Parts: sequence; structure tokens; C-alpha cells
Amino acid sequence: MTELEVKINRMAIEKHVENIRRGLSTLPMLTHGRPGGLGNLRWTADLLLSTYFMASHGRPPSNGLEYRVGRSRGGFDLLDFKVATDHEFINDRGIDLSIVLGRRAPSKSKKIGLPVYGGGMSFGSVSLNFMLSRALAARELDTLTSTGEGGYPIPLREFRDHVIVQVATGMFGVSEETIQLAPIIELKYAQGAKPGLGGHLLADKVTATVAKMRESVEFTSLYSPFPFHSVYSVEDHKKHVDWIKTMNPEALVSVKVSTPRDIDMVAIGSYYAGADIIHLDGAYGGTGAAPEIAKKNIAMPIEYAIPIVHKYLVSEGVRDEVTLIASGGIRTAYDVAKAIALGADGCVIGTAEAVAVGCTHCGNCEKGRGYQIGITTTDPELSAFISPEWGAGRIVNMYEAWKLQWRDLLARLGLNSIEELRGRTDLLIYRK
Amino acid sequence: MSIVKKLIDSRRELIHSNGLRQVRRSNDAAEGGCGVIGVASSVPVKGKHFLTSLIQMRNRGNGKGGGVAISGLDPEQLGVSPEVLRDCYIVQVAYLDASVREEVEEKHIHRVYRVVSSHRVETIEDYAPIGLEVRPPELYRYYCKVRDDVREAFVMRHGLAGVPQIKVDDEIVFRTTYLLNSEYYASLGEKRAFVMSHGKNLLVFKLVGYAHQVIQYYKLENFSAHVWIGHHRYPTKGTVWHPGGAHPFIGLHEALVHNGDFSNYHSIVEYLAERNVHPLFLTDTEVAAYLFDLWSRVYDYPLEYICEALAPTTERDFGFLPYEKQGIYRRLQSSHIHGSPDGPWFFIVARYLPSEQRSELVGITDTSMLRPQVFALQQEEEAIGLVASERQAIDAFLASLSSEDHRFYPKADKYWVARGGSYTDGGAFVFQIDFSKNRPTLRCYNKFGELIGVEKQPFNFDDDVKPYLRELLGVRFGALEAYVMQSHGFVEMCEAIRESPPLRIPETIDLIDALTLLLDRLHLMPGFHEGQVRGTIEGTLFALMRSLPSIGDNSSTGVVVDFLTRGKLRGPSFEGQKLFMDASKFPAEGPDSAARFLVEAYSHGWKHIYTFDWRGQRFCCSGLGPRSDDLRVDVYGNPGDYLASGLDGAHVYVHASAQDQVGQIMRRGRLVIYGDVGQAFLYGAKGGDVFVLGSTAGRPLINAVGKPRVVINGSCLDYLSESFMAGDPLKGGGFVIVNGIEFDGKGKPRLMRTPFPGSNLFSLASGGAIYLNDPWRTIDEQQLNGGKIDSIDSADKELLRRYLQVNKELFGLNIVLDDENDADSRSIIAKFVKVRPLEIGVLK
Repeated sequence: MTELEVKINRMAIEKHVENIRRGLSTLPMLTHGRPGGLGNLRWTADLLLSTYFMASHGRPPSNGLEYRVGRSRGGFDLLDFKVATDHEFINDRGIDLSIVLGRRAPSKSKKIGLPVYGGGMSFGSVSLNFMLSRALAARELDTLTSTGEGGYPIPLREFRDHVIVQVATGMFGVSEETIQLAPIIELKYAQGAKPGLGGHLLADKVTATVAKMRESVEFTSLYSPFPFHSVYSVEDHKKHVDWIKTMNPEALVSVKVSTPRDIDMVAIGSYYAGADIIHLDGAYGGTGAAPEIAKKNIAMPIEYAIPIVHKYLVSEGVRDEVTLIASGGIRTAYDVAKAIALGADGCVIGTAEAVAVGCTHCGNCEKGRGYQIGITTTDPELSAFISPEWGAGRIVNMYEAWKLQWRDLLARLGLNSIEELRGRTDLLIYRK
Repeated sequence: MSIVKKLIDSRRELIHSNGLRQVRRSNDAAEGGCGVIGVASSVPVKGKHFLTSLIQMRNRGNGKGGGVAISGLDPEQLGVSPEVLRDCYIVQVAYLDASVREEVEEKHIHRVYRVVSSHRVETIEDYAPIGLEVRPPELYRYYCKVRDDVREAFVMRHGLAGVPQIKVDDEIVFRTTYLLNSEYYASLGEKRAFVMSHGKNLLVFKLVGYAHQVIQYYKLENFSAHVWIGHHRYPTKGTVWHPGGAHPFIGLHEALVHNGDFSNYHSIVEYLAERNVHPLFLTDTEVAAYLFDLWSRVYDYPLEYICEALAPTTERDFGFLPYEKQGIYRRLQSSHIHGSPDGPWFFIVARYLPSEQRSELVGITDTSMLRPQVFALQQEEEAIGLVASERQAIDAFLASLSSEDHRFYPKADKYWVARGGSYTDGGAFVFQIDFSKNRPTLRCYNKFGELIGVEKQPFNFDDDVKPYLRELLGVRFGALEAYVMQSHGFVEMCEAIRESPPLRIPETIDLIDALTLLLDRLHLMPGFHEGQVRGTIEGTLFALMRSLPSIGDNSSTGVVVDFLTRGKLRGPSFEGQKLFMDASKFPAEGPDSAARFLVEAYSHGWKHIYTFDWRGQRFCCSGLGPRSDDLRVDVYGNPGDYLASGLDGAHVYVHASAQDQVGQIMRRGRLVIYGDVGQAFLYGAKGGDVFVLGSTAGRPLINAVGKPRVVINGSCLDYLSESFMAGDPLKGGGFVIVNGIEFDGKGKPRLMRTPFPGSNLFSLASGGAIYLNDPWRTIDEQQLNGGKIDSIDSADKELLRRYLQVNKELFGLNIVLDDENDADSRSIIAKFVKVRPLEIGVLK
């Protein structure tokens, strides 16, 4: 490229960046009403816009945007807490929002500052800048983010204490070195958005950089097998966990599974296998890359799965030895609180963090170069739309707004900490 | 009406009798995995040998269910006459509630059977000292014959006149047990009694615990029998367990243990329901035992048909079957496909065939070979066949047996893996012990009835081996020369070494290196007897290594450390000092494991570690971390699963066979295996140079990327290099060379008929290549899924030569390309084809 071309290119990017940022800050103001065609029944226009607002301002909107529930007419959207809330937030800073990950070996336990951490999105499915945004935010918030299954980019290593290393069925980018970097190793057995299917990254997004990180062939689609070829049974599962612990005895092991009908069996099996964290991934998660036919159609909704597993682990007398984490359609601070009241210790957040930096839930993540304003792209120009600092700032803001809502809710419920909320289904009501 | 139909119809009334509620179609006691083993021997073997093997495999269970089944019994030991053993059903009833015994005996034993003899089965006094948490049931044994009046009434009621008496009696026994179990076990909230076994010449014992505790509790250490099977269960659901849920499960004259999990349990339950069989114990293993019994006893199928019904032959393999078989198999499949278990499973069956006076041990795998399995055979004057989840369990059994009985050796002559649902071996093997003659004999057959033997040639050590050894071992021969010269066989040579006065330390290490090389060259020895020779040399090596000074000796060139002295670990006293690590007593996994100790030793600065007498411990050489290039590890014994998984720099030489999951995510370094490898080999590997003397089981190199460079001298089973993404082999990418070589009984290498018998070769691959030595072009497009078969060009040849040269140095195999001139009489002429990726739509 000539110098002029480089300059034009840079100017074009700057112009786009400015437009994107302006859009994200003006749209939630509803100056021109709600934009048509935005969102769907689960991720409604209101939820998207209020997330943009929170990511800009660090507090929930007060202009009538519904920021707590969607309009799916089921699950979290009909569950509510038995207390009245209004827009005057009780910001009691004495309320403890931290949770403990891994209780089996107290020496290895890890406390995180809020009841959520970031879900796995691989380098390749998302851009490095977005990964760095999440990692920066995780460090600032004293929580974690995850590599997903696409290797561990070098710039991310600066944040290693806040980066979970995911080991998934394709083993992309997984080596002893990356496993030994991790405070937590996440074994992804399945994903709620597509149980029984492996991950896939379409050819267009497998750029030279992505292929190098995964040591694969450029511009060739990558498929992860649907199972681990080394794990076909519970004793294989234990062996697999033991292997990870041999390579990194200091790390916690998280087992991520989807929610089949016998999820209680799966959970107790993982407990016996030595998991510190059992991570249930329900049907509503996943990016656009999960096949339409699988999304929302195979796994059990997370609202059902959490109480089944929680109660079962209680009845087996092992509940307090494991940390139960839920994901798959957790969109808001209230979804998190409801999941905890149903029996989880905390949640994993993926999509909401992407929304914070401008995701519109259009579902075009995997096609072509990826999402046209960055995030789920590997294109160097599209990636430049999000800078790590800007992205991190927005993610932190969103979580600040969530914290405010959690503190307010807990205060109204008369609780002192988020941990006290666990399993308190008595505080929930189902509004038909 | 056929006998089959009549027998099935006779069961209709069972469903409604006793007020048994409608069968619950749930697989409540679902479980995934387990550890299984079976042994069949031409002479009776004692339970204690089985015990060691089961203890070593205990990490495949969780102590919530264990069991053994025994066939090929000795009447004298049982205290009955040979006639009683031959003619009577041995009914063993477990009483969880001792107070119901009289009632049960009255209702279900004496009303049906003429009891020839009965007694309480002896146990140790207390169950707690051996570590059991749940009191095992009281077990009573009844030697029974069906009462004539009962038989007559049954024949009358169901119109079975003309049906052979033995078939009628079998059915009466089956239904009696069914009624007893449904009344006293399945249909009640409280579980009070059930039948553990009822076949002829077959005993089953099970309890809540591990299988080895069964042997201890029922005092079976010194009990001898020809056939043993054992099972460690790994159930996870529930806090209360009952022995009824433990394996083995029974049909009639068979007991079955299972490792795996059906995904179509409900379909099988429905298939059985249509034939009036309803499960009572709600596990998939129970229905598997019913299937086996249904097909073998009611349908009278030979073993081949039973295996076909369980694991159907499909696709390309079906096409390779003889025309007549295709017709039969097609009928079997269309009749029984709904009863065919789907998903990962592996069965071991012990059974007795009363009319043939034969005990059998059968192993059958599912068509995708998803569960671990290995078969073994040792054939000297007496013969023994084994099948297990892990090779280490087989070797543990043989080590224990051979230490007491010198007719046996610590290693088998032959180990192999079945190819499920295939035309090649059918995925099933049977070890038959024939009692009809004076001296019981053992024979091994595959599903098609083809005899499996060990090729052994008589040889003369002095004439055939001695001169050759010098050539084979080169400079290393010096250390062995004196012992070789004074002996007339390998065993004698090893004895001479053990009995010689202690050597100086450097000489001991020289001797260790020489014996190691001998071990690594055994495949080239004329007419050697694998089990005997390998086991003896290994034992001698271990003894020599243990004789070295303990860790802490500052001057010795080699020091030894074991589990007891592990606390004394420190770095080497001088550069070049070698560490000998005795792995035998280390736990299989966890913070104190052998694998972690190895990592610790490396972090203390040891650069050359000999680690020996592995007994199935897992993760050997995992955790060494990146950039461990300065380390060399020599592994001896039986390293367990996940060997070298994660390897990133170190050089690992395994002077033995390896098990499953070897070299996963391996990135760099060198891995040499002087033996075979199990399944899921190099899964997700990124690189490294890997050389395997033998063959690999299914699914090697799946999802491998980067630049793994692999030479396999034997063959591979299905799914080799699926989703291989390893760049361009000619520009630094990865590849697999499959040489397709096996060895005849004279130590001469020869080409396999089919170097790759499987399907799904290089499926969905986008990079890398397979070089397959296939001179007769047996490989065809049907075996591929997205790949392309090509001829090799000069650049490929150059690459092949380079790796075959290293291969030659490691294994002494001179493989030359067919257009080369330097072939001598011992060279193997190879003609390679290249399987390379084809651009396919699904990947673009």
C-alpha cells in the first residue's frame, strides 16, 4: 500500500469508529424512537439498547427502556423477585458480591469480585482486540475471562491470572504451555447452544493469523469433533481431569457441559471425577455461529437445569464442595440473580459482553469476514473498530450497572451477600 | 409353531404374575464406564492372580459395585461329584434380608427344583476390614435339577411337547429366577433377595465394593477355575447401592460384564418386550445379558450370529463379506437391528455350553471401537487367553500367575485389538476351553471361526541366535557377550546375569543398555517366544536397575529412587549422572503419582531418567512443560494411559507397548515406542517426531495440526488422521508414514495383506498427508472421505528416505523404496501411495 492508501484506510476506519460510537451512545436515548428490526423476543431492542446505555454510563437507563427482562414469555422473562423495585437504587456498598470458585481444596480456592466471569470465545471466532477488551475488564473487575478454543494469543498473557484456558474437543491451540499458564482450566465437553455438535469456524475467518495460532491450514474451515475422542464414559472423564491436574496441579478444573435430560447424572459424575467447577450451559447461549437447528432446540433451558442439579447435589451431600456456574442465555443482572436464586453460585457471560461493545444480535458472526462492526471478526480492518481500552471501559461500565442492580436487589431482599441468595427459590415468583 | 415362538410365548404370563407392575422404562442406574477383564486358561488358575490385576485397575471403578464370574469349575473343589457339576444348575441366591430365606426356598427353590445339595457360601467373618462399606448379602448355593412334575406341567401348559428336555429345563430355570427376582428384588421398595447365578458350571459373585473385594470376601484367592471375568463398576447416581446392580449380569449359562453406555436403551427394552423379556435391574448391562441369552439359547444362534446381531457389519466391510454371509447377515440385521446396542460398549462374556462341555470367554466391541479393549494370548505347553480394558491388567495377571506357575510367563506372546463390525476379524474373539477330552485345551477364534494362534518356530539358540546377536547389538554386544556365550537360551542367559557376582556400577549400566537394546530388537530374533523372552529380559532389567545405589550416592553414575525413598530426591551430583526411577509402588494418579514425581525429578535437574516397572500408572511424561528438550526418559514396564500427553521437547523412549491416549496435544520432542499403541493416539497433536514399532488401535491422529511427523511400522485401525490439518508435508507440515509390516515367527518382517483395513482414512482432512506402503493397492476411494490417493514424487521420496533412515536406526528395519538399488536380502521393499487432502466444499 502506498502512504496515501494507508492514510485513506486509517481515515475510513476512524470515520467508522466515530459513527459506531456515536450510534451506541445516541440510540438508547430514543430520540428517534426504537430502531426497527433490532433484537428478538429474548434479546429485545430494549435489552440491547439498555445494555448499550449501561456500557456508556455505568448505570441502568431511566427513560423507560426495559433492562431487566425480555419478552420470550417464559423462563427468566416470567420469573421475578417477590420484592418491589423502582429506579431509585439502594447502593449499599457493604453488600458482598464476590463468590468463591473451587471449594474442594481451600488452598486452591479463588475469590472473584462479582458473581460472573467471561465465557469462552476463541481467537478466530472473535478478534484479538475484543479478547483484550474482555481481559482488561476482567482484571479491573477482579474476575476472569476465557480463551475459548483457539489458542492463547501472546498479548493476552499479560492478563494470565485472569484468563481461563479452555480445552475443547478440537484441542486447537491447547498445549502444555497454555495449560500451565492457567489459573482455571475449562474442559468444554459440550455447548448448550449446540449439544452433540462440535465448534466450527468457517473458512473465511481462518485468516493467516488465526491459522497460525491454531497451527491449521489457512482459509479452510475448522471443525471440532463433537466428543472428546478420549472421553466416552465417566471413568474416562475422571482420567481426563486427572491428566489436566497432572500438567497443572495448581489450577482449578471447570467442567463445562450442556443440559441433557440426565444433567444431574452428568453433574455428579463430574463431581466424582474431581471437578472444582461444574458449568452448566443451557440452550439459549451461543453466538450466531451455532447452527439454527440446534440453537434453543436441543438442550434444556438453563432455568430448568439449575434447580435440578442444585437440588441433586444437595441431596447427595456434595453441593458445598463444588461451584455451580450457569450460562446460556444470561442477559442481564436480573438473569444472574435469578439463576443464583435457582441454585447456581454464579454465571458465565458471553453475549452481553459483546453487546456492551456493540453487538446487535444479528446472528452474522460466522459468515464472511464476521460482524461488520468488529467483535466477531478476524479481519484486521474490522478488528480495528474496537480498541481494547474502549471495549474494556464499556464492559466495566456494564458490570458497574449490574453491580448497582444486584446491591439494590439484595438490600431489598434483606440479604447481605450474593452467596446468601443461592438456592432461595422462595424469593422468586412466576408471573404468568 | 417354532420352538422359538413357543418359548417366547411361554413368558407372556410372567409379566402379569406376582402383580409385577408395568416395567419402568428408565435407565435409572445409568453408568458410563468401568474396568473389565477376563481370563481363560487351559489349566485352572487361582483367584488371587485375578486379584492383583483387579487391584491394579481399580481406578476404572469407584467402589460402588464389583463382581466376578467363574466357569470351568473343579467339582472336587466344590465338594460335589463330576456328575453333579455336569447335570445340575448351580443356583446362587443372595439374601439381603436373611429372614426371607426359608420363604424363598419354599416358594422358588423346592417347589421347582430337586435340590441335590446346598450350603451357605463361605465368606470371611467380617466385611469391614477389607474396606467394604456395605454388608454383602448372605449367599446360598443350591445344586438343582428341575423336578419332573414341574417340567411335565410346564410342557403341557405351553404345548412344548417334543422340545428337547434341556431347552425346557433351561427355560424353567430362567423363569424361576425371574419370578424370584421380581418378587423379592425388583417389585418391592425393599430389596430382600435375588439370584446371582443359575447356569451350569457358572458362578457369579457381586457386591457393593470393588471386584477384588469380592475375591477377598468370598475367599476365592485359592479357588481355581478355567475362566474368570471381573468388573469394577463406576455408578454415579444415588447414595444407596445394591449388589443387584453390580456386574456381571446373567442370561442363563452366561455372565456378562460391560464397559460403556447404550444410547438406545429404550429401543432395546422395547425389542425385548416384544419377546416377552422385561428387565428388572434397570441397567443397560442387564438387557445386554438378556440379548445374549435370547439369541444364544432361544434362537439357538451360533456365536457368530450373536456377534453380528450385536455389532452389525456395514458399509465397505459388508461388501467384503462372502456372498452367502451377506445374505445371512442381512437377515440378522433386519430382524434384530432394534436390539443392537448403539453407542460405546465393550462386553466380556463367560459362558458354559452344556451340550458341548465347553467353557468360553468372549470379548465383543462396538462397531466404532469406542471403549478400550485389548486381547492377549500366550501359548506354550499350556495356553492362556486374556481380554481387558487395559494391557497393564493383563500383564499384572500374567506376572502374578507366572511367579507361581512356571508353565506361564509374565508377558503374552501376542496382544491385539478387535475391529468392531468388520470383515477382517468381526470385532469379537472367543477363547474356548474344551472339557470333552481328558486334557482341557484352549483355542482362540475370531467371530468367523478362524483360528488365532501364535506363530512359533523351533529354534536353536546356539546356531540361530548367537551369531546374529553380535550383528544385531553391535557395540552393545560386548556387555552381554560373556552371558550369551555360556548359555543356550535367553532365559538361561538372564539367569546367568542374575546369578553373577555384583558388577561395578558402570558395567551394570552398560549391561542395562545392552539388555534394553536386546528388548528393542526382539522382533528381529529368529523364532523367539515373545512372552517368555520379553518377560524374562524385563524382569532381569528391573533387578539390575534396583541393584544400583540409592539416591544420595554422590559418586555412582546411576542412582535409584523409588516410592519409599522419594523424599530424598535431589538433583544430580555431577553432570551425566543417571536417575533410575522405580515406578512400581507409586499411585496411578494424583499429587503423589509417578508422573508428578517424574516432573519433580526433572525440575531438580536430572537430564536422563530411566523409569521402570510401570504398572499402569497414568500420564507418564506429562507435565514436563515446554522447552524440556534437554531431557531424555527411558520407560520400561507397563506405562498407563495418556503417556507423553502434552510432550513439548523431551525425548521419550518407551521400551514396551503403550496404552490409550498416547501423545495427546504433543507439540515437540521425540517419542519412540518399541511396541503397540492403543486408541486416540496423538489426538490434537501439534508436532513432534514419533516412531512406533507396532500398530495402533482406532482413531489415531484425529484433529492433529501443525507438524507431527509419525512413522508407524505396523498398521492402524479406523479413522486414521480424521480432520488432519497439518499443512504441507513437503514444506514443514506433518504426515504419517504407515509401513504395514508384521513379523513372522522367524523374526522376519513381512508386508501385511492390508496395511490399512479400516474406513474413514484421512476423512475431512485439510492438510498433511498419509504415506501408506501399499504395494498391492488395497486402499480404495471408499475408505476415504475427502482425501485423494496419489502416487509419490521425488520430493516425497526424499522425505520418506529421511524418516525411514531414522526408523531403521531405531528399529533395525531396512525399508527401501522400490526403485532403490541398495536392497539386500533383509530389506523390505516398499511401494508407497500418498493420501493427500482434496479441496472439498464442506471445508470452504
